[in-house]
Amino acid sequence: MIFFSSTLAEPQYFSTIEKVLFVALILTSFVLFWQRFGPILNKILKSKKDVDFHLFPAGRRVWDFFWEVLCQAKVIRERPLPGIAHAFVFWGFCAFAIVTLNHVAVGLGSGFLNPASLIGRFYFYFAAAFAVACAAGIIGLFVRRFLVRPRWLGKDLSYGSGMVALLILVLMVTYLAAFFVADADPVTRVLWWVHTLALLIFLPLIPHTKHLHLVLSPATVFLSRGGFSQIPPLAGDEDFGLVAGTDLTQLVSLQAYSCVECGRCTEHCPANNTGKILNPKEIILGVRNYLNDLGPASQEPLLGKYNSQQAVFQCTTCGACEFQCPVGIEHLPILIGLRRGAVNTGAWEDNHGAKLFLALERGSNALGMSAMERDKFIQKQQFPIFDGTQEYCLWLGCMGGYDPKGREIIADFARVMNYLGTSYGVMRKEKCTGDPVRRLGNDLLFQQLAEANLELLAQNKVKKIVSICPHCVRTIQEDWKEFGTPPEIEHHSEFLARYADKLPKQKAAGTEPAEKIVYHDPCYLGRYRNVYEEPRAVASLAGDVIEAPRSHERSFCCGAGGGLVFLGEETGERVSHVRAQELAATGATTVGTACPFCNTMFRDALASSGEAAPRLMDIAQLTARGLPQDGSKLNGSMTA
Amino acid sequence: MKIVVAIKQVPERDAQVHIDASGRWIEESDLQYAMNESDAYALEEALQLKEKHSGEVVVVSVGPERVGSTIREALAKGADRGIHIECDDLNKRDVLGVARLLAAALKPESPDLILTGLQSDDLGYGQTGVIVGELLGLPHASLILHVEKTEAGLTVKRELEEGWFQTIELPTPAVLTIQSGGNKLRYATLMGIKRAKTKEVRLVTAVELNVESTPVVSLENITLPQKQKSTQMLPGTAKEAAAALVEKLKFEVRVI
Repeated sequence: MIFFSSTLAEPQYFSTIEKVLFVALILTSFVLFWQRFGPILNKILKSKKDVDFHLFPAGRRVWDFFWEVLCQAKVIRERPLPGIAHAFVFWGFCAFAIVTLNHVAVGLGSGFLNPASLIGRFYFYFAAAFAVACAAGIIGLFVRRFLVRPRWLGKDLSYGSGMVALLILVLMVTYLAAFFVADADPVTRVLWWVHTLALLIFLPLIPHTKHLHLVLSPATVFLSRGGFSQIPPLAGDEDFGLVAGTDLTQLVSLQAYSCVECGRCTEHCPANNTGKILNPKEIILGVRNYLNDLGPASQEPLLGKYNSQQAVFQCTTCGACEFQCPVGIEHLPILIGLRRGAVNTGAWEDNHGAKLFLALERGSNALGMSAMERDKFIQKQQFPIFDGTQEYCLWLGCMGGYDPKGREIIADFARVMNYLGTSYGVMRKEKCTGDPVRRLGNDLLFQQLAEANLELLAQNKVKKIVSICPHCVRTIQEDWKEFGTPPEIEHHSEFLARYADKLPKQKAAGTEPAEKIVYHDPCYLGRYRNVYEEPRAVASLAGDVIEAPRSHERSFCCGAGGGLVFLGEETGERVSHVRAQELAATGATTVGTACPFCNTMFRDALASSGEAAPRLMDIAQLTARGLPQDGSKLNGSMTA
Repeated sequence: MKIVVAIKQVPERDAQVHIDASGRWIEESDLQYAMNESDAYALEEALQLKEKHSGEVVVVSVGPERVGSTIREALAKGADRGIHIECDDLNKRDVLGVARLLAAALKPESPDLILTGLQSDDLGYGQTGVIVGELLGLPHASLILHVEKTEAGLTVKRELEEGWFQTIELPTPAVLTIQSGGNKLRYATLMGIKRAKTKEVRLVTAVELNVESTPVVSLENITLPQKQKSTQMLPGTAKEAAAALVEKLKFEVRVI
């Protein structure tokens, strides 16, 4: 007869045979666990040391651990429903830690949590609440994985996951059922044993399945490099990036084994979503398979059987994968690491790539144009030359200095600076920051460009830089650090937002309907720099800002990043067309951009979509449009 | 197959050239230098021949200390060793003087093939390679786009005017001057640069080579090209103006 008992039922005694059997099963379970887990741990520990790894300051690590692991914040935020289901399972596990220890102790005749005591009663109820949530969560996840089957979980059903889900359900059900029987009831003993067997089968399954993340990912999150797309420095004369197993570092190996195969990276990957072969999840699993088959001492190339060179060079480095990953995998250092291995050894042969590299070996800009063209532009615009007296160095960048549309953006931004009375100057000998070659893995060129620029900036005593290009901003601020101390730098959206209350507002009240501006978040400004609101604040001076379906940290790449704008025709659909269509479909009259590369990609994509396409304007152009036509300045004086 | 490639260091393509105080030479202190373009193609041809037939690629360059960086670049791209003929008075030697230095340094190497660029991007004489061939008494051919090694020697493809090509055969050893654009250039790699550090670069001087260094050329003055931009209005009706324009395009500018 079923009745609800106010206490958890436990078997009151165990025969010697039962105890011996119990101990033998525990030992078997641990041995089976270690037989698989031991070699994995060994492979991680035998991997190369990370030269740039510092445990301290640990504040960021502790916070990431608290927020991403304990609170499951990232898991929930980026996929709310399955995220909450997962969180319930995770929190259920945490709550069950003491219950499980007590369960084992009971089997050995020394249970420490008395179900009849106040504390015991409280804790078992507490755990029971989690058990209900956990059971509901795991049923939900089971339904999703085996019935809904989203594309990014892959074509093959993971029977290991099904087995684990079943075991978790059994654990919860056997626990909850013990509230409905009496201690002396033989059913109690059956429940106890079923619970025990489920536990002991579960343990060795962990390292054999993706549930390895239970053990590894808390460490992975805690130990991660932390900086977004933080590319480690090369160590010594024989380090050319990720060439072979011997180049895999402990962090890379740990991350490869932590992958839980959830496919969030793939779900958000612009390359994968437009028919390329690149699948970020498979890249990580490729490294894991390499480690499983060959280990970290192998000289076998990483690119070849386990990962494809073609896939690695389809990455736009938009960082959606790394941003989404709930277990702390840093995809970009791995993807770019594989590119470094291919480019630094000359294994990568690509006509467009070689053209870009040669242009930067011999010249100053990625567009392969003569520096004289830049000089002519500076003269025509009458930009002041930076001489140390001005507040800002206005960084032109390759797009601002040479690209026709980029030039319009720079010229308009300069007009706004003139209006505000900000002093600035440009540098004649500025070179490409090295962004495209950095992302393509050409360390030789990147170092040459970074060092030449750093020297030039130091000679000219530049303290502050402002740039219209998020790629320049990121590269100067973060990537150059390897070779010196870059000046302070900000993106023009941050500059303009600071002066938003001093800039003209263009919406005349009560007149024609306001312009609808859909703002596109550039990857290198949003995910890389966490700047989302400033450009929106600037755009809202010119009209009503509306959002695309994918925006902010989920923004979809324009297709230009990672040097891909220079690599010629894509396979599959064009990333830029997919995004441009999405932006146009919002019904906006204007597409607002904050990156000259996004701008150039959308210019072509929108042009191909016919006459009904919205206008395309950078936020600097939107701002400059509202300036007084007579050239008067903010303080009332006239410009010279 | 032992191949020697003669390379020259020239001001970078983008360089802003200024005339120095003497008025006889360009201001060198502020310039960035690079490998002469057609020499880069000569090097590429040599490296590809080596990859196909094995052997050695030696690079040689004449010039002051700064030339060392261009030799290193060639080593980084795959040349095996370098010879640097140190010479600070390059602008006082005529093309024969430079060719004598090269010939003297190359003779003891007795290579199977000597390659160099068709002409230099700075002075553009286009004679150095050919004169080296004459000084060494070797057969030579210019404007080469492609080199093939055969049983008997070489088959090479020459570029002629107006899209014509000529295929000729010549025995080895020989001297070829290479035209730009025949191959795709390889990019410099970090591994190449690191490996190049341990490769040998031998320094020799004109005195050691026993080559006369009395200046035979003196530059009187140099000037920058004068830029001229003039606009001409064609008068008359549209028909007349169009006819006049066609006339000018045909006979004055010769583009149609």
